[in-house]
Amino acid sequence: MTTAYKKLQRRTLEILDGEVVSRASVWCEYFIAILVVLNVIVIILESVPEIHTAYATQLHAFDLFSVVIFSIEYVLRVWSAGAKYPPHTQGKSGRREYIFSFYGLVDFFSTIPFYLQLLFPGADLRVLRMFRLLRIFKLSRYNSAFDDMVAAVKSERDSFSSAIFLMFIASLLFSSMIYIIEGHAQPDVFPSIPAAMHWFFVTIISGWGNIEPITFVGSVLVIFTQVLSIALAAILTGVVATAYTAQVERREALYEMELRDILADGVVTEEEQERLKSMQAKFGMSDAQVEALIEQMEEEKRLAQNQAGS
Amino acid sequence: MRQVVMDILDGSPNYKASRYVEWVITVVVLTNCAAVILDSIPSVHLAYKDFFHAFEFWSVMFFTLEYVLRIWSLGAKFSDSAWRGRRQYIFSPFGLIDFFATMPFYLHIFFPTLDLRILRVLRLLRVLKLSKYNTALQDLFHAVYSERKAFGSAVFLLLIATIVSASLMHFAEGHAQPEFFGTIPHSIYWAIVTITAGYGNVEPVTKFGEIIALVSGFLGVCMAAIMTGIVASAFSNQVARKKAAFEAQLREVFKDGQMSEDEQAALKRLQVQYRFTDLQVEAMLQRAKSKTAGGRS
Repeated sequence: MTTAYKKLQRRTLEILDGEVVSRASVWCEYFIAILVVLNVIVIILESVPEIHTAYATQLHAFDLFSVVIFSIEYVLRVWSAGAKYPPHTQGKSGRREYIFSFYGLVDFFSTIPFYLQLLFPGADLRVLRMFRLLRIFKLSRYNSAFDDMVAAVKSERDSFSSAIFLMFIASLLFSSMIYIIEGHAQPDVFPSIPAAMHWFFVTIISGWGNIEPITFVGSVLVIFTQVLSIALAAILTGVVATAYTAQVERREALYEMELRDILADGVVTEEEQERLKSMQAKFGMSDAQVEALIEQMEEEKRLAQNQAGS
Repeated sequence: MRQVVMDILDGSPNYKASRYVEWVITVVVLTNCAAVILDSIPSVHLAYKDFFHAFEFWSVMFFTLEYVLRIWSLGAKFSDSAWRGRRQYIFSPFGLIDFFATMPFYLHIFFPTLDLRILRVLRLLRVLKLSKYNTALQDLFHAVYSERKAFGSAVFLLLIATIVSASLMHFAEGHAQPEFFGTIPHSIYWAIVTITAGYGNVEPVTKFGEIIALVSGFLGVCMAAIMTGIVASAFSNQVARKKAAFEAQLREVFKDGQMSEDEQAALKRLQVQYRFTDLQVEAMLQRAKSKTAGGRS
């Protein structure tokens, strides 16, 4: 393999990955994002029969165009992912990693149904449409919302899992109790425990349920379920708020560390300034915040010098 | 003179008069709003027509005076050019509110045929004048603004959740209930109602649809939790940030070991701006004092 080939592969990876920010990668990002948004809009509109019949050829042409683009994107991604790790690192294949990653699977399954349709023209169109809708998840590659959410849930997984566990126990307990108490009075509504569980979840989600209890104990149970649903909302909110605050704090700590590192030698080079700027933009910190941090650090330094001097 | 008027209108804590001006404007705005609301009741309008008219006239005079004074006095804000401060005020949100809350009256004089209801709505804009004196509202905006990325992400998630659950519902129930789920735009309406208001307006018929409906309802609960969580953490982060800024100022003041009159006034202003209680400031003061003492010994 020549070096020119390697270079090209490397450059393609950089552009598609967008990790090294350049004009080409930003354009590529915008182009794919806009195409995905248009695709989602087209899929939604296509489901309206009048629009589908009126613009069938245009919609089909658009779909063909996007499939070609997405196929090229997929092939390029697979090809360029080979340049991710240097060849001498054994057992680490950038290609395998990409193909079996979440985004790799999304890219694959949102494009391939089109070819399947060519091979088997009898396939159900609605299933194909569903697969095409997967394209919306291509967007989350360019938005950190998903990753942030996953990171937040991961860092608070104990609280989340205990909240879900609590819900699970409550659903078993309450639905079996309401089955025992109201099952005889309203056999058509609570014929079995699964039916009662369905009632429980509806009540938890949307408040006072669709079913009026008849017995006294039944109404007490319903009221308890209501209270539980408020508690559940509060628990979820609290957990999310804590996770989020922790995340912001973590980012600020990271920035502070970086800043301390840079200020340690007393000079701020151009490159360091650039790095700080990009970090600030990534973390969404305000200028005032950064200024306060710098001031605090200078103050600390002065105090340390005073202490050393005396 | 201009400087003094500007400080008073700006609510600087150095003058007692600025507090009175604030109170007078607040009272006038509140009575104005009450008048606009009462005036829309036909029987009240008929009985007290003249009174309302006179009241409106005098309050417009009052607001006009305020507006003119503000423009005139803000010439003193920047020393290099008188119009820089003025321009800044005129095109600031508060300047625009002041303008649009007063102007309809004059419009009415020039164009007597204008629809009265529009004028009435514009007059109600005056209530926004109060937001200048309410720092809590500004805090809210700042907090939301500083977390705009998180809000954007939450909205993005909401959008994805809506579209995905709507399409799944279309596939599951499209044939069973074509009047509700026949097209994806129809199902999107259902999904928005389910996610924002809870499980409910349309009963799903199929088992698969039932599960999707329950999951969407649960997603709605999660979405509310995410939004509330972001706002709560934005607020607490903002308070922490203000505290840090105030403490930095305190340390700055104590650097030379004493507090001059100027510095005290600056601290006081900052305290009012950040709405810290005296107790909080006292605690921070103690901490800063002990820290500098330790550092210097």
